[in-house]
Amino acid sequence: MPFNQKPQKFNAKINTVKIGTGDKAIEIGGESSFPFYSFDAPVPVTQKVGIEITDGGLEAMPECIRAYYDGASSMGDIARKAASFEGVDFLALLLDGGDPNGANKSTEELIAIVKEVAEAVDLPLVVEGCKNVEKDAELLPKVAEALQGRNVLVMSEKEENYKAIGAAAGLAYDQIVGAESAVDINLAKQLNVITTQLGVNGAKVVMNVGTAAVGYGYEYVVSTMDRIKGAALGQNDNMLQMPIITPVASETWGVKEASASEADMPEWGPVEERGIDMEVSTAAADLAAGSDAVILRHPKSVETISRLIQALA
Amino acid sequence: MAKFVSIGERLSATAPSVNKAFMERDPEPILKRAGDQLKAGAVYLDVNIGPAENDGEDLMKWCVKLLQENFDNVPLALDTANKKAIEAGISVYNRSKGKPIVNSANASDRIENIDLAAANDAIVIALCQAEGICSDNDERMMHCQNMLERGMGLGMDPSDLWFDPLFLVVKGQQDKQMEILEAIKMFSDMGLNSTGGLSNNSNGMPKHIRPIMDSALVAMCMMQGLTSAIVNPNDTRLMETIKSCDVFKGNTLYADSYLEL
Amino acid sequence: MALTGIQIFKLTPKKNCKECGCPTCMAFSMKVASGALKIEQCPHMSEDAIAQLSEATAPPMKTIKIGCGDGEFTLGGETVLFRHEKTFVSKPRYAVSLCTGMDEATVDAKLAEIPKVDYERIGERMYAELVYVNCMENSDADTYAALVKKAAGLGRTLILGVSDPDKAKAALAVCKDAKPVLNGANASNYEAMNAIAKEAGVVLGVSGKDLNEIYDTVAALEKAGNKNLIIDVTGEDIKSTFANAVLVRRAAIKDQDRTFGYPSIVNLVKLAKGDYQLQVALASIFTMKYGSIIVMQQMTYAEALPLYGLRQNVYTDPQKPMKVEPGIYKLNGADENSLVVTTVDFALTYFVVNGELERSGVPINFVINDAGGLSVLTSWAAGKFSGTSISTFIKENVEPKVSCRKLVIPGKVAVLKGDLEAKLPGWEIIVGPREAVQLVKFLKSM
Repeated sequence: MPFNQKPQKFNAKINTVKIGTGDKAIEIGGESSFPFYSFDAPVPVTQKVGIEITDGGLEAMPECIRAYYDGASSMGDIARKAASFEGVDFLALLLDGGDPNGANKSTEELIAIVKEVAEAVDLPLVVEGCKNVEKDAELLPKVAEALQGRNVLVMSEKEENYKAIGAAAGLAYDQIVGAESAVDINLAKQLNVITTQLGVNGAKVVMNVGTAAVGYGYEYVVSTMDRIKGAALGQNDNMLQMPIITPVASETWGVKEASASEADMPEWGPVEERGIDMEVSTAAADLAAGSDAVILRHPKSVETISRLIQALA
Repeated sequence: MAKFVSIGERLSATAPSVNKAFMERDPEPILKRAGDQLKAGAVYLDVNIGPAENDGEDLMKWCVKLLQENFDNVPLALDTANKKAIEAGISVYNRSKGKPIVNSANASDRIENIDLAAANDAIVIALCQAEGICSDNDERMMHCQNMLERGMGLGMDPSDLWFDPLFLVVKGQQDKQMEILEAIKMFSDMGLNSTGGLSNNSNGMPKHIRPIMDSALVAMCMMQGLTSAIVNPNDTRLMETIKSCDVFKGNTLYADSYLEL
Repeated sequence: MALTGIQIFKLTPKKNCKECGCPTCMAFSMKVASGALKIEQCPHMSEDAIAQLSEATAPPMKTIKIGCGDGEFTLGGETVLFRHEKTFVSKPRYAVSLCTGMDEATVDAKLAEIPKVDYERIGERMYAELVYVNCMENSDADTYAALVKKAAGLGRTLILGVSDPDKAKAALAVCKDAKPVLNGANASNYEAMNAIAKEAGVVLGVSGKDLNEIYDTVAALEKAGNKNLIIDVTGEDIKSTFANAVLVRRAAIKDQDRTFGYPSIVNLVKLAKGDYQLQVALASIFTMKYGSIIVMQQMTYAEALPLYGLRQNVYTDPQKPMKVEPGIYKLNGADENSLVVTTVDFALTYFVVNGELERSGVPINFVINDAGGLSVLTSWAAGKFSGTSISTFIKENVEPKVSCRKLVIPGKVAVLKGDLEAKLPGWEIIVGPREAVQLVKFLKSM
């Protein structure tokens, strides 16, 4: 008696969201099965991999990543270089220098960087705020305005500032809105509800439901994504059918496994290998849990995860 | 678990204005009532065209097309004693948003509506009743078994028979209410779907009392495992109760704005 | 796994004979489902139906034990596909692979490398629990047995990757007492391998060219009386292996297909083909979905740090949050004069706060006491993070070792300040920020 393979069919699917314009534009989402379950239903769109640079440029990079940007001097150079690495589908620009508790760069200064990066590359762009909700409410609408026509994904729309960012990115300048919650499934849904209640088209919203580095409370990430995809597909909950994008790098490169020097932890071996593996492991786990796109920093991680996605497509 | 299926009851020939619109094929009042119900959260709409002995087939087709064309192929329950009208309705029905529901079969003179549903891959509401009201749950479950067997014998999936315990009016049958609730639990323990005209319980009560009684009953029924009901979706209190119970049951994920969804 | 009345009803004769005492077969089925009656009380139930029912009420996935002593591990026994539905029970175990194709120096280097990764993380020992010893087709029995013997010297539980019955016998002769896994049954050799595994009393691994072939082989082995099995789901490529792992587990747990109710082996050596980063990515995926034994080419710290962290998280019982050990954690080169900061032992809180404290670069004695594994406000409300519990811990464990008398408490329990000042004479109690992200700024401005 042969094995009776029973496919798990859902009468629901994740929204397909296009980011960018022209030949290089990408689509994320579109699946009607759990991640990589191509044996259940055809998967029309593969997961995408982005490379992240920050307004801090070369100086903000760990040494092992900086080596890959040899010869770049301006933000435009860095962006062009980042876009050239194997496996890169989109470019993410993190504006963490805007944080009033950090470098506190002005909105004007950051917008100039945004423009320089946007002019340097024709890849789809994702712009992430500085994590300070007030500053983001001022900064990100300007980003949406400056990049009008590029169909960029403006991230970091939170419960505290959704009106300013959602209205600017989603309504006034017709960009894609990235709704951010921190591993809280009810808030993830609520943010989609109130964003669409502003008048933003739900099909132009992407969720960042948060992640942690593996080992750091990652079980909450798994269960959050499992439950979101379960409700989106199994209960046809259209307030959870937005694709998920996960900024992995900003979580993994800070933990000690990735940052402790070889002098401090001689038995741990080369810091670069540890950094890549933390990033790769977390990204692979995020994809297996339900991320439709991941944002990474090390070119080797991007290449590896891109290969993984191709192998499972 | 799937969300509770609210079937909107307001398109009924028993309402004079609706009946008039049916007779005159006047779309406006029908679309208005349909739109109001959907906006309030109805999943299915019941289309009760009455006995419709003369032009039932034409009328049901007209209704199905009218509603599905205007409301994105809204799924419908086709409610009439005229079998040919139900078949005619199904012949023009688009099932992209859900199978049609045949409303309804019972264990005696209308048992052939199960055959009709089986032949058309439809859902059927199976009223656990033959002649008169069942004397106890043994009788109710016997009817349930007979109808289930008939449907399964015709190749139906058991989940396509939605069993109706027949809700009874409190003013007159108060002592039977717990029996109905127990019957729902039995359906649920069997893994079966269930539905019914829940607001029948409050017939004859003052208007302001009815939403209170209906809400309390729907909560108790959902606890027992009721999966659907034929209701007035424009009863805000009732719909809020259903949405809240769906959260408690894990049928939908909570968000602060859940009542607005 | 409970059956619904309708599932039982389908198996009844549907005669309504009333001999069981129920008016209808449906009523009978419902009573069986609720446990009020036994299925045998129906005089007309066929033997087949009774067998089907007893099978259906058995656990969906078997629990298999491998190894012995300290090297004994429990695999399988899962009841859910997603951890939030209940919990996962048996964490995957990682194996490092050796092969008869390796020269002696490579084998020695591997064997020397494996024990180097052995550390503790939140109360759990992290190391490669298993060694996979693969036999190439062209290696003879003596060569293989010699390698197995050498590997056994390491004291880790072995998995014998060998499909030739004679070579399997030779290998088991040198290691069977330690209860290794014999991974080598397939459609063409299962009878011989079954006899060998049974005689040695070891778990048998089953592989095949596709799921149908594996299914048939498992069914044949079960028929021959062997239910002490593991399924090697490794396929031709990455995609088919992932599909196999998911489909086998899902068939067992969701569709109650007992033939696939066994733990799995995933051999990444065949899939990653020397790409170590890809191997980490794959090991992460199969740790999430649904590898029981994951075979790797190597397990250095670069692989171990993320993988063991991921495994520890995913296999945490959602009902029992992870707790860190109470103690004084010295950060950024802290000594006895460095500032004291405290929070609860809930692992997530600990990690978030720890990360921010490290980021600040300020030397800190980070003090954790037993707060029941709850978050700050929850444990405060439960009386587990109180003036008494904190002050007792400080007096007993901190005062003898730390001379600094400044204590930073979480902003969310600012209300404890007065109580702590009273209970800890000589200490300056400082109320920290409410959120961890504000810590860096807070500490730098102190």
